[in-house]
Amino acid sequence: MANSPKKVQNPRPSSVLIDPVYSSMITLLILVMACVEICDAVTVVDVYRLVQYDIGGVPFGSRLASLNHHAGSSLFSSSSGAAADLSRTVLILPVRELNLTFIKEYITHRKPLGGLLLLLPPAFSPYSESVGRAHHDSAKDLMKEVLAELEQLLIHANTPYPVYFGFEDDSINTVLADVKKNDATGQLATATTGGYKLVVAAPEPKKVASPTIVNIQGWLPGLKADGDSNQLPTIAIVASYDTFGAAPALSVGSDSNGSGVVALLEIARLFSILYSNPKTRGRYNLLFGLTSGGPYNYNGTYKWLRSLDQRQRETIDYAVCLNSIGSFNNDLWIHVSKPPENAYIKQIFEGFSNVAEELGLKVGLKHKKINISNTRVAWEHEQFSRLRVTAVTLSELSVAPELLQNTGGLSDNRHFVDEASISRSVKLVAESLARHIYDLKGKDINIFADNSSLAVNPSHIHSWLDLLSTTPRVAPFLSKTNPLVMALKKELADHTIEVNVQQEVLDGMFSLYDTTTGRLHIYQVASVTFDLLLLLVLGSYLIVLFSFLVITTKGLDDLISLFRRPPSRKVKTA
Amino acid sequence: MFHFFNCAILTFGPHAVYYSATPLSEYDTLGTSIKAAVVYLITALVKLVCLATFLNVSESDSFDPYQELLKALIGFVDVAGLYFALTQLTHRNISQYHKFQAVGLGWAFADSVLHRLAPLWVGARGLEFTWDYIFQGLEANANLVLSLSLAALGSLMWLRKNKPKTLIPIIYVCAGIVATMPSITSYLRRGLGWHLPKVVGFELFTSLVMAFISWQLFAACQRPSN
Repeated sequence: MANSPKKVQNPRPSSVLIDPVYSSMITLLILVMACVEICDAVTVVDVYRLVQYDIGGVPFGSRLASLNHHAGSSLFSSSSGAAADLSRTVLILPVRELNLTFIKEYITHRKPLGGLLLLLPPAFSPYSESVGRAHHDSAKDLMKEVLAELEQLLIHANTPYPVYFGFEDDSINTVLADVKKNDATGQLATATTGGYKLVVAAPEPKKVASPTIVNIQGWLPGLKADGDSNQLPTIAIVASYDTFGAAPALSVGSDSNGSGVVALLEIARLFSILYSNPKTRGRYNLLFGLTSGGPYNYNGTYKWLRSLDQRQRETIDYAVCLNSIGSFNNDLWIHVSKPPENAYIKQIFEGFSNVAEELGLKVGLKHKKINISNTRVAWEHEQFSRLRVTAVTLSELSVAPELLQNTGGLSDNRHFVDEASISRSVKLVAESLARHIYDLKGKDINIFADNSSLAVNPSHIHSWLDLLSTTPRVAPFLSKTNPLVMALKKELADHTIEVNVQQEVLDGMFSLYDTTTGRLHIYQVASVTFDLLLLLVLGSYLIVLFSFLVITTKGLDDLISLFRRPPSRKVKTA
Repeated sequence: MFHFFNCAILTFGPHAVYYSATPLSEYDTLGTSIKAAVVYLITALVKLVCLATFLNVSESDSFDPYQELLKALIGFVDVAGLYFALTQLTHRNISQYHKFQAVGLGWAFADSVLHRLAPLWVGARGLEFTWDYIFQGLEANANLVLSLSLAALGSLMWLRKNKPKTLIPIIYVCAGIVATMPSITSYLRRGLGWHLPKVVGFELFTSLVMAFISWQLFAACQRPSN
């Protein structure tokens, strides 16, 4: 091969000129190599927005939905101390490591913040695959308590920035680790140190126009004796099925009140078997009611009772409301609003406690007077009591919940509900009712004995509990045609007759806003300085390339003359 | 947007610089470059049709030697297109020396526009910062150098009659290597699982080496004719 590189139009030996260019190329190469493995594709995760609602025009919850800020990881920036300005920062806080007192102070004092992303442990996701049996480890129980407290805090506060819930996963944890590292060193976000921008594109949340509540009822008519012209007495079994929580899209309420709904469906199934045979058909009508609006002072129950025919309502002997009966150990409570000395109450309580004893349960009686002037309805049976219908609520809760407390929020999911507990409560209620209906008081007969044809079906309970535990049920977002409502209606229709779906408007005090879920895009962004630097590097690269090409092809003189020409022209024009 | 601008400069800047810095601009060879670009478009179309006809769509991203061999063979359609561009196109009175440069430039520019503009437009305008588009720009640079080398070698093979006999095999080998470069990089990326920066570094390096070799060859062929 010829070793003197000479060209026709380029008399200059070019090997001298190649060297600097080659070395610069190599440095560029090394530079490129040094920046390897920071490439991160855009991460997209599902996030669930904090509820936004008004009570009588007073705003509560998160008032914004769209998010577009840089990520931060702690309330205090290490460089500037406590007085860090976070008004343009989205805080990512894993609930696992959350300091409740700090966040409480932050929220109650309404300090400015760009946004808040709370990361829940994956076990709390209603959509996670690992829905197993309830096993109580202390860490999880503690987590549940923290979550419940946090939920109450967030629900009753008015936050002027978007608040989202997400679940910890690998991608978000790597982002968080990066952000933490940066925060610790106090560095500004650049491409090489991993600045992240969190974006949730969401329209302005709109009020749900005329939120509806849907009640479902079904009858099991009793057997009328021939020639008996009187109406048969009725026993009502009622459970409210909707939920309310800090994140509407995560409010699956397995215990409150999924467990009650499951128990009601199972009781309906058991009695439908008994009532299908004329010989075992009782002399009581059974009325099953799945009511909505539970978190809103049992507004659905109120509407439902008023829509019932007056005569029908008067035949109700008593009503049993089921509320949170899925995670008790041995103690259940019967809540009443009539004094315990009342004959009916006494009768019901005795019936329940007898059966409970046989099942190894303990049932206590709790009396709470109704204050008519107060709009707060803590228990579902209070709506019955207000209409002078005897009613009790069976619950594992020993004290009446406050407004929007224990309504099936974040901490209430499948992991904390025990199917065995539900089975036992079903047995308790069904057995007590059956003994009342067939007047078997004092006789030692177990109607719903295990392994009989009337045994409680665990798989029925299991499948319904699973379905309810994966379906958020905030009433204003559930329409009459919602698949869950349809499924409940169909299930009730399978066991009872005259199934009726009633749609009512939720009374005006509560109004919710839409946009309950969002897609969080996490972008790794470069800082403007980095972009400028890159532009500078590219510009100089092109200039070097240009000069190199001009020199190699036309010679150095051409390059110099290229720069000389403009001034000479100026002289001409001047 | 800033990032997009940067990447666009890196991807398309060198082509413009090359055109304006070298005597190509003085001889007004833009027409030739455009013609070469059109030929490239047609070649790409033919290539696509061939690929669609002879290749099965593989679901996995793995490296299949047979498929890759076929792909490499189809890749030689490029060479045919370049041959057509170099020999059949009616050129104005410009020397071979400029002709191959103009053709190579047009070729590389069309390739860049066709393969890189759309991803750049879609990807680099967003908020997300990745190095991918910067690497892609560097790849475009390597591709420009490779196209120029291939065009130079092609012009040596097909247009120059009196070249030293000893150099002919070397020219053919080099041309073969340059023409199979896309297959080689695809093998590196998927067969060996190299990451993008490594692949781009390799491309840059080899393109410069090939350019240097073809330059030497060109110079060597030029000399005896004078």
